[in-house]
Amino acid sequence: MSWVGGGGKGEGKRGKGEGNPGAVALALNVGAFLTFALLVPGFATGPNLETVVISALPLFLLAVGQTFVLISAGIDLSSTAVVGLVSVVGGVVMSAEEGTQGGTLGTLTGLAAMLATGVAAGAVNGACVGWLRMPAFMVTLTLGMFAGGLAVWLARTVAATETLYGLPSQFLQIGGDAGIALALTAALGIAAHGLLSGTLFGRALQSVGYNARVALVSGLRVQRVILATYVLGGLFAAFAAVLLTGRLETASPTHGRQLLLDVIGATVIGGTSLSGGRGRIGWTALGVLFLALVGNGLTLMNLSDFAITIVKGLVILAAALLDAWRVRRRGRS
Amino acid sequence: MNAAVAMAGIEKAFGGVPVLRGITLEVAPGSILGLVGENGAGKSTLMNILGGNLQPDAGSISVGGRPFSPRTPADARTAGIAFVHQELTLFGNLTIAENLHLTRFPRRWGLPWIDRGASVRQGADLLARVGLSQRADMLVERLTAGERQLVEIARAIGAQARVLILDEPTTSLGAVERGRLLSLLRELQDAGLAIIFISHELSEVLQICDSVVVLRDGQVAGTGSASTFSVQSLVALMVGREVRQLYPPVRAPGNQEPLLEVRRLGEPSVAHEISLTLHRGEMLGVFGLMGAGRSELARMLFGLDRHTSGDVLLEGRPLSGGPAQRIGRGLAFVTEDRRQDGLCLEAPVADNMTLVHLAALTRTPLRLINRAALRAEVARMSTDVRLTRAPPHLPAGRLSGGNQQKVILAKWLLRPPRVLILDEPTRGIDVGARGEIYELLHRLADTGTGVLVISSELEELTGICDRILVMRQGEIGGEFPRDRFVREDLLRAALPVRVSG
Amino acid sequence: MPRPLALRLLEAAPLLLFLAVILLFGTQSAGFLTAANAAQILAQAAPTVIVAVGMTFVLLTAGVDLSVGALMFIGAGVAGLLAIAGYPLPVSIAVMVAIGVAGGGVNALLVSRFGLVPFVATLATLYIGRGLGRWITETRAMNLPESFLMIGASEPLGLPLPVWAAAAVAVAGQCVLSTTPFGRYLYALGADPEGARKAGLPTRRLIAAVYVISGACAGLGGLLALARLGAVSPRFGEFYEFDAITASVLGGTSLYGGRGRVLPDTVVGALLVKTIFSGLVSVQADPYLYPLITATIIFLAVAVDSARSRLAARLTRRVIRVDA
Repeated sequence: MSWVGGGGKGEGKRGKGEGNPGAVALALNVGAFLTFALLVPGFATGPNLETVVISALPLFLLAVGQTFVLISAGIDLSSTAVVGLVSVVGGVVMSAEEGTQGGTLGTLTGLAAMLATGVAAGAVNGACVGWLRMPAFMVTLTLGMFAGGLAVWLARTVAATETLYGLPSQFLQIGGDAGIALALTAALGIAAHGLLSGTLFGRALQSVGYNARVALVSGLRVQRVILATYVLGGLFAAFAAVLLTGRLETASPTHGRQLLLDVIGATVIGGTSLSGGRGRIGWTALGVLFLALVGNGLTLMNLSDFAITIVKGLVILAAALLDAWRVRRRGRS
Repeated sequence: MNAAVAMAGIEKAFGGVPVLRGITLEVAPGSILGLVGENGAGKSTLMNILGGNLQPDAGSISVGGRPFSPRTPADARTAGIAFVHQELTLFGNLTIAENLHLTRFPRRWGLPWIDRGASVRQGADLLARVGLSQRADMLVERLTAGERQLVEIARAIGAQARVLILDEPTTSLGAVERGRLLSLLRELQDAGLAIIFISHELSEVLQICDSVVVLRDGQVAGTGSASTFSVQSLVALMVGREVRQLYPPVRAPGNQEPLLEVRRLGEPSVAHEISLTLHRGEMLGVFGLMGAGRSELARMLFGLDRHTSGDVLLEGRPLSGGPAQRIGRGLAFVTEDRRQDGLCLEAPVADNMTLVHLAALTRTPLRLINRAALRAEVARMSTDVRLTRAPPHLPAGRLSGGNQQKVILAKWLLRPPRVLILDEPTRGIDVGARGEIYELLHRLADTGTGVLVISSELEELTGICDRILVMRQGEIGGEFPRDRFVREDLLRAALPVRVSG
Repeated sequence: MPRPLALRLLEAAPLLLFLAVILLFGTQSAGFLTAANAAQILAQAAPTVIVAVGMTFVLLTAGVDLSVGALMFIGAGVAGLLAIAGYPLPVSIAVMVAIGVAGGGVNALLVSRFGLVPFVATLATLYIGRGLGRWITETRAMNLPESFLMIGASEPLGLPLPVWAAAAVAVAGQCVLSTTPFGRYLYALGADPEGARKAGLPTRRLIAAVYVISGACAGLGGLLALARLGAVSPRFGEFYEFDAITASVLGGTSLYGGRGRVLPDTVVGALLVKTIFSGLVSVQADPYLYPLITATIIFLAVAVDSARSRLAARLTRRVIRVDA
């Protein structure tokens, strides 16, 4: 099974580890929490934990979108660049209104434009992967390049600076107010979970990811499923952009740029399979939380950035090795 | 003089099902042995044992007088056994010469640099011997199947084989290529090679082979010099008289109302002017050898592949579109390869079972899955298809072959189809599960569904069908109603017809 | 069986696209088609070419190496430290390549011995490598002594040294792929892993070898990149993996394995991107449009390649079915 996705080739020979990735991810979280709670004063406090969760919300939304795409046996390398583009689009639309007086109407228009941008980007990805059968890796890579460039160009053309200010306060609240951001993210997360595990689409998506040939023979409309999947990816990237733009109070093409590795890392740690079919929103949430806890704890321990990066890499490695070991053991039985 | 190959008492069973029940045969050096038998008689298994792909459960083999028990195909190759399979094993993205020399490249000065000149020259020699006019530096992916077959044979010759096993070597060859191959085999024979020639082309077998072994049900049903046989006597030995399995009692025929009509279906190089009618409540069998075009026909009927001419009508109305549309009109299709396109092996049984008709178990507008209804349906179908020891949450890949097939059937029958097409439905399945599947199909037909069963097992089709069509080389070669189910006739209708050269 | 014109055109697409780009910019700007400009493009492309050669090997086996940029970074950091500490230049060079090989060895172990999916294994090494690199360079920029810059600046026989190095690597890579058994085994493995195993090819060792090669190329490429920049910044080598993959894919290497060539394909792919960039500069296009235009052209190239592979697959299917 190739790692690039675009619909499985029906060779489930490698197999996926059984057992419970969710349990592993949960154990990791508990372990991390306890370790840092013991070692680091100030970790297990209300304000700190609140910061951890709130700052992880955009990452979570991106990871949810990525989860859908990975389940379809694809990959989305464009989501973080789309965040920048969506942010700039929002800034362009809403700053054109009367700055902070833009008010509710401005906010609604801005939101609509932002979400539409995310959907459009996802649709391009989905159409190329589903109908043109191009490899997801390259399609999303180039779209990401394009979106990033477009974001910068748009910002510069409209506003002559790369960062746009003066967004309406109603909009800023969505991302800036911890309560609203949390509620929105939780609602989206629950909706995503419901979509994935409780609807026809969710099942169809899983089948396409496990074995696209079976899905085709069984009457599923594989191309439409793939399209919808990438649209979801783009949509969730747009929501992440809404949160980031609100929290940072600016619209910028660089929002979220550094997050791509963490997005993929979190979904992998959570247990979503790169070869498709298997994945849960809950697992992803645990993966994101784990990365956030580790990042926060190590920062409080005054470990430098690079140490944190190394630890993250080691954890991903450990999770992958564990999974590979489980698969091998099952293959032998 | 030692026999080139001598096998004694070879036994092999798969999952408790005996496939070879004590095979003893000998091939003398410099002779050609023809190995014939129906599908499932054990020819492939026997040759896979000789070729090092499988280990026998009992018995012994000697090659050139020395004991021979290969554990890998490489072992067999080292001992001088060259197996040219029916499924081609060449690498399309390499040249002919590279494929020929893949494990023994001629080196320049002993270093790991391929001496391309030598490789191409030696390759050209081998190609000339098998009668191919292509250049040795041509990419294999550009060759036809027939040409590739000749390259595989060339590779065997180049590897200094002492025993050459050919599995259906002439199915993809044109008349001229065939003639060249047969004279090539005689040359090799004169040079001392022992050749085992597996084929369904019985007249060809009698023409080229010195002796013949007929396998039936895992045993040697007949053996002797080729001159003592005729096509008729071979066919008689192949089909035998005993009934191997229990089949459900003969059905009352359906009501003769046309359900699925196929009119002059055609696709270049695949199918030619195929016309047939499936009636309501009928069990219609489609028999034929590999390569006859049966699976291709099924895929075209189901909308997975296009056809350039002809139409298909269901209940009088034209059938078009892809699988989704045809499923909506009431078609169902159990494919040939359940692991590749029948089941999501890592997904639970319940998910697989509800894959086709999931929409019926959901509530609009969001298509939320009604879990209670889903559980109930899974339980109902599991009982219907007599699925045991298969808890709904178990990944489907862990089930036995018979259970896997039952899950697939349950998937399609969750809502009764109008037409059910099955391609090799009992391949690799134990006797008990087979019987249950036959019963299921009969019950289904009794409710009015038209059932089209494609199979290579003649006995199965004569056991359960009301009528059998025989396909041959992309065409319908014969139609047999129940009262004319004579197995020799059916087999003969399936044999390729050649313009003799 | 003659190949239809459509297929041949599609196969030649990367080269045609390259020529089209040269033609387009050449006619639009006088300064584009000069020898000096060509030399500059070649010099800029040299590190990417080298890394892409290694990546081509990996892609042929249907794998991927996401860690090359990180390996470049570590190597550059260590080499920089050695150079600043006064060690002679050859030592730094040797160390850079050695680090690349070692890193490649780790990837090789993870993929071939532990059976990890290449994407995840090299993603993990990417993280760890970047972290290590930043630790070594203490997340500060390092300026390197003159001797390093000499590598980039010296011009034996009129072409910058990096260009010679890249050419040598490309030629060596292509030689290995087309004239050694090892190279041919890689193609067989990529086309049909099961078949290769059955044919007795040493599949595990083959897979391990390509990651070591990729690592070595990363080390060498890092050396040239370092020589050009003269300094190590915390973002050294970032995104080189995507550049290398893009260069290979543009040249026609398949992400699914079994298809691809170093010369001329990958080299053309690497040059294509740099040429577009140079062309845009010389026609004085709005710099903010660069990524847009580049991305579009790459996208087109990938789309054409997809069409080519679908057409080829359809033809093969029909070929197999021909009977007399």
